[in-house]
Amino acid sequence: MSLRVLVAVDGSVHSRRAVEHVLRLAEAQCSIDLHLLTVQIPVESGHIRQFIPQASLEGHYRDSGLKALQEVVSILEELGHPHTAHIAVGHIAATITRYCDELKFELIVIGTHGRTGLRQVVMGSVAREVLKLARVPVTVVQ
Amino acid sequence: MPETLFDLPFWLAVGQIIVIDILLGGDNAVVIALACRNLPFSQRRKGIAWGVTGAIALRIVMIFFAIHLLALPFLNIVGGILLLGIGIKLMCNACSDDQHDVACSNSLWGAVKTIVIADAVMSLDNVVAVAGAANGNMALVVFGIVISIPIILFGSQFVMRLMDRFPMVITLGAALLGWIAADMILNDVIIKPWSEQLSGWTHFLASAIGAMLVVLIGRWRNRRAAPKPIHEVSLFSTPKSEIARSRRLRI
Repeated sequence: MSLRVLVAVDGSVHSRRAVEHVLRLAEAQCSIDLHLLTVQIPVESGHIRQFIPQASLEGHYRDSGLKALQEVVSILEELGHPHTAHIAVGHIAATITRYCDELKFELIVIGTHGRTGLRQVVMGSVAREVLKLARVPVTVVQ
Repeated sequence: MPETLFDLPFWLAVGQIIVIDILLGGDNAVVIALACRNLPFSQRRKGIAWGVTGAIALRIVMIFFAIHLLALPFLNIVGGILLLGIGIKLMCNACSDDQHDVACSNSLWGAVKTIVIADAVMSLDNVVAVAGAANGNMALVVFGIVISIPIILFGSQFVMRLMDRFPMVITLGAALLGWIAADMILNDVIIKPWSEQLSGWTHFLASAIGAMLVVLIGRWRNRRAAPKPIHEVSLFSTPKSEIARSRRLRI
């Protein structure tokens, strides 16, 4: 049975490296069921729902999600590697780990921007929070 | 006003107003972007420009009225209670807000109308909070409006990231609103003659109680709410324009 792997994607070069790492694993005779997940931060407060139709909100999340997925999906399509892409909305790290729990993934692969010092404090690291919350092995790709 | 340069309460109020603007101004920007989403590309810029202009004009008028109304008896109490509610609502992350049946407008004026009406409702929070923090000081009020405009225009992405990174920011902001609310109630024309006789630390005590009240009620409401399922967005949608858009993205 193949290994169910969830790769967290945000459209950056770091998430591309994460996917490349998974492809390397697949090359090494490891059968992988590859899923991509991008998480969009919710924009809606109670107020916004009163004025903007749900369809517009969904469309907005879809657009920004597809943008984040675009690069890695085209790489995977070029290689003909089967994969499934998902877009979810929520607190980024918590949604990734919840998604992993609910859909029974066995490994999370995530890229990290490798920020240090003050930028690390301000912008933080989703990868670090995922490490803290995850109940399955996590591979952090830098 | 050279003497205000070293005036600690003045600078505290400035800090409070900036925090309020950041916390309560972020979603105005989102409405502007989303309301113009369905416009043809050539009209989008126009829609945003007119919407922002209308929203800023409305905000100036509203805050002008708010300042004058707050000088009337009882209205500071009403404003304070309103502000407590705004703080509790800010804390609420699982509120089941009923989805109103809103039509998606595809015309330029429809989008501008949505922006202006939405901003009128949404900046009421902001106006009450800024008026409370400014405590009648007109310079502070003007400062509050000026500083909120760039936040409305450019800040939403940053504010959203900040809140995702530090959920604590929301709790602190809600506590600040509770703090200001208590202060506002004590400054009501009716209560002031009585509250002025109290020593300085009672004011702090009242404000601290206001802040704690907001945080505790907010926490309690969040705990009672059932956890929501993961919000997943499908990659494809039915309207033709959406399909065309995703094809362009080669997915």
